[in-house]
Amino acid sequence: MTELILQALYSGILAGSSYALIALGLALVFGTMRIINLAHGEMVLVAAYMAYTLENAYQWNPLLAIPLAVIVACMLSVVVNFLVSRIRHDRELNSLILTFGFGIMLTNISLMLWKADIRSTRSAWLQDAISFGSLYSMKSELLFFAVSLVLVGLVAWWLRASWYGRAVRAVSSHREAARLMGINPQRTELVSFLVAGLLAGFAGVALYCNSVIQPSLGGALTVKAFIITVLAGMGSIVGVLVGALLIGIAEALTTTLASSALQDLTGMVLFLLVLFVMPNGLFGTKRHD
Amino acid sequence: MTRPSRFAWVLLLAGLYVGVPQVFGGDLYLMSNIVAALTIGGIALSWSLLGNLGGMVSFGHAAFVGVGAYVSALAVMKLGAPVFAGMILGGIGAALASILIAPALRLRGPYFALSILAYAHIFKIIATEWKSLTNGSGGLSSIPRFPEWAGFDFGSKTGSYFIVLTLVLLFAGIYHLVRRSDYGLALRAMHDSEAATRVVGVNSLLLKALMLLLSAFMAGVMGAFNAHYINFLEPDYAFSTLWTTLPIVAAIFGGYRTIAGPLVGAMGVYLVDQLVFKSLIPSGHQVILGALLIGMILWSPGGLLPPLIRLFNRRAHAQA
Amino acid sequence: MLKLDAVTVRFGGLTAVNAVSLDMPAAGILGLVGPNGAGKTTLFNAISGLVKPGTGAIRFAGNDISRWPQYRRARAGLGRTFQIPQPLAQLTVRENLLVAQRFGAGAVDRQRLDEILALVNLLAKADCDAATALSLSELKALEVAKALATDPQLLLLDEVLAGMESESKRAFRGMLQQVHERFRVGLLIIEHDIETISALCPRVVVLNFGEVIADGAPGQVFRDPRVIESYTGQATA
Repeated sequence: MTELILQALYSGILAGSSYALIALGLALVFGTMRIINLAHGEMVLVAAYMAYTLENAYQWNPLLAIPLAVIVACMLSVVVNFLVSRIRHDRELNSLILTFGFGIMLTNISLMLWKADIRSTRSAWLQDAISFGSLYSMKSELLFFAVSLVLVGLVAWWLRASWYGRAVRAVSSHREAARLMGINPQRTELVSFLVAGLLAGFAGVALYCNSVIQPSLGGALTVKAFIITVLAGMGSIVGVLVGALLIGIAEALTTTLASSALQDLTGMVLFLLVLFVMPNGLFGTKRHD
Repeated sequence: MTRPSRFAWVLLLAGLYVGVPQVFGGDLYLMSNIVAALTIGGIALSWSLLGNLGGMVSFGHAAFVGVGAYVSALAVMKLGAPVFAGMILGGIGAALASILIAPALRLRGPYFALSILAYAHIFKIIATEWKSLTNGSGGLSSIPRFPEWAGFDFGSKTGSYFIVLTLVLLFAGIYHLVRRSDYGLALRAMHDSEAATRVVGVNSLLLKALMLLLSAFMAGVMGAFNAHYINFLEPDYAFSTLWTTLPIVAAIFGGYRTIAGPLVGAMGVYLVDQLVFKSLIPSGHQVILGALLIGMILWSPGGLLPPLIRLFNRRAHAQA
Repeated sequence: MLKLDAVTVRFGGLTAVNAVSLDMPAAGILGLVGPNGAGKTTLFNAISGLVKPGTGAIRFAGNDISRWPQYRRARAGLGRTFQIPQPLAQLTVRENLLVAQRFGAGAVDRQRLDEILALVNLLAKADCDAATALSLSELKALEVAKALATDPQLLLLDEVLAGMESESKRAFRGMLQQVHERFRVGLLIIEHDIETISALCPRVVVLNFGEVIADGAPGQVFRDPRVIESYTGQATA
């Protein structure tokens, strides 16, 4: 029994690392532009389909698709940034509807281009099992776990040390003050969208390699990413990472102890619990609204 | 805009209740589209009620539609309730379900919108997994249709049309009454000045919750109607995002600030979607819906209909 | 009527209000003064329910209202105005008072509504849009009118005269006096203008760094060396 639970913990942590990438992108965009990109999950999905296309058509290893996935995700991200910045009134709510519409477009375009069938990588190398003692995982899971940690670390460092990173933090905390300091909020928003696209690209390929994809997954990914940002609370990268790992673990435990069909339910129930009991998230700073 | 006179109302009602069945009653295809459009219209109405009065945009109304459908179907099939009573139970069931999400009303707009989206997912999963109750993905079939009453078969296309039309008009009436009341005033003030309302004694959270309950009830009843109309239900269909998307597009298209807007928008959008989009892009016709949403938000967030009407009025006046 | 019992409000590491105790009888007028950052508005926020006190209790009309939500306090007779006027947007002036009466007082009394509007000189603008058609002093008058419409026993007025020139201030002061006399309403006033406070309030409480440092008649309080020091930073020579 403990073996099963340990395995679930292990798999959960590995899976959670990819979720962290998705959630981090969503959080960055929310920080600078104060909008939630409801098409974020769909963006990740399209990135995943890039990997599928290259593997299916040219027999490339999905890892080689990462540059393309990143570029496509960034382009979609920039489109969203552009569209949302064009909203004149009531941006907070209208952006929800707009990105919702964009997400629907992406989901259905995916449906038209790649059909509803479930896809996954066929690369044997990636799917090969690797074990630490009694703990098993796929090579790709471990690989992307490392990649995710590196990326999250890089973003954390970037936010702290680079000019644009600090600009993002400034704009997120107080837009007007940042503008008065000479920071261009629009350009900073664009940067945050680009970083979100970068992370989404990696996350998409990770998803394709570690798991299965189908067009309907987009919405569920957005919800999951959103749940993680809520768990994490505002303004905490560590929080996002921990929240993501927590969701991963919770899902894996549910699959092991109950059934895999209920694993989505776990995340949502956790989410509602946090929402009602600890609205500031696990790590969030208290907001004085 | 001048208020429609009493006479205009009578004319409209006569047209709807008598004219339409007389003229179109024979065309079953058209009638079923009209019924479906009105169903969407009713949900669109409930959605915009929550948005306008409750101040909350919801992306999860499919939850209420689905819950209403299942509660009604199960109440009729397993408890032997009469169909009309089942519909009301469906509405109540959806309203009760909305109580669970009520604490999210404390959150800001985007958080609420997404909470309720997650919520809709939860219900779909519950409906799929609770096989003993809902028969899971196998679904419920042969859901009883509307009965005969006073010599008229409400299970027929025309009969169903009467039912959904009455429901929609009833809900529109309720919406209007609330909006006009003191509660409506307080709700309007709460949009931009919620803190100020609390300080003068308005229990803003309770009012928002009541709007949520009302909206959920209406959506639930529409879902229940649909269940007895098509006589079949399964989780993916009952909780499909189309039940969220189409009403939103309809409400925005028709102008969600008015009561008639979502209804007229539903007629327009649904019919256009069925007759035009579906034939253009059968499997992905929702792409156009998504594009429509984006376009409307960017260029005409008040809806496409109001400006068209204004244009029409101006032309009419110019020629007079 | 209003009794504060060692009320403390902390924000993280900052103690904004430190064990403030206060006893205010019904229908009195009390001025609350102190340098900027002394905790006056925070104290108001605690009394009206925007923040909950960390320790201590707030009693109003015999009830312990420390944990009551804002709307409940308003219905119990505790009215409050904001420093920056917050009219009920999308409503007319009259509708503002209608909502306040309906939900704060419990019933709509159109005659009294007009009475209040006349008292604050807003009768002429009764059907104008509250958020867009009023000048600053009219907005402040609306703040008072709105709070009055809830049929309060105590009105918390937060710097309601700030930003006015002396002519308007004197007029407003007269209006507040009338409010007090006509409706038998207690007034708890935060103000910076010492002349106004002295003229209006028979009793003044001085706050500094969240603590009460003086409590008495204005003449006596404003000569208290500690009070002078809190404002000027140095004791009188």
